[in-house]
Amino acid sequence: MTETEPKTFKKVRVEKGSRGWGGPLTIEPKPGREYIVSITGGGIHPLAKKIAELTGGIPFDGFKSKVGFEQMACVVIDCGGTARVGVYPMKKVPTIDIYPTSPAGPLMMFIKEEVFVSGVKEENLKVVE
Amino acid sequence: MTVTSQLKLRTRVVAIGPLVEEFRASGLLVLFQAGAPEELAEFSVLHEASVNLATVAPGDTIRLGADRYGVLAVGDVVNKNLASLGHLILKANGLTEPEMLGDVCVEAKPLARLSVGDEIEITGPPQEAE
Repeated sequence: MTETEPKTFKKVRVEKGSRGWGGPLTIEPKPGREYIVSITGGGIHPLAKKIAELTGGIPFDGFKSKVGFEQMACVVIDCGGTARVGVYPMKKVPTIDIYPTSPAGPLMMFIKEEVFVSGVKEENLKVVE
Repeated sequence: MTVTSQLKLRTRVVAIGPLVEEFRASGLLVLFQAGAPEELAEFSVLHEASVNLATVAPGDTIRLGADRYGVLAVGDVVNKNLASLGHLILKANGLTEPEMLGDVCVEAKPLARLSVGDEIEITGPPQEAE
């Protein structure tokens, strides 16, 4: 049996962008909960790649394959305000919308600032010690 | 002289999530192309498009099965979502300004109850052609 070095992760603080809502969130992947899941069109969004790079998490295309909610360190969405915006907060997965969406839609009661932040760009990410 | 309309979307319903009826009753229809994650499929009409120009605009007509709806407003990210994910949020709210970036607003009338195999089409306004 070979022992591998335990993987180390970093925390990233995610603040809302201009005209955005919610947060700040602290994203910290953990063993077993290390996926940075992109639920966006056109492959893994650059913001998800950046969060993965900064934290040591694994970038993941949520439209191509499936991973359990409990394995998601966070999701990145490009939701225009109704559907995706509520689903992942409902499942208690920290949710980062690249568009500046405020709580709305049929699942808006789940969209809280502890679990949702919007209008986020790369400049709104900061590694924290 | 003939009158034609540009076909912008033609797609076929392949699955209907268990929460679609509840959403429909509140004037909301969510479309995603087949293959969307389960948590989105739950409240979505999944479909497979044969035509998708992703150029929806006010003045277009959306046909859900046999029923037609005039498009009144189209949010800024609608066509991007449609092109990349076959994703569309249809709201029968009668608004001429979208509340959300992803909204397609149509006339405030009851939304059709769709079944697997039904066709959804979006066409441009009628144009006279030689």
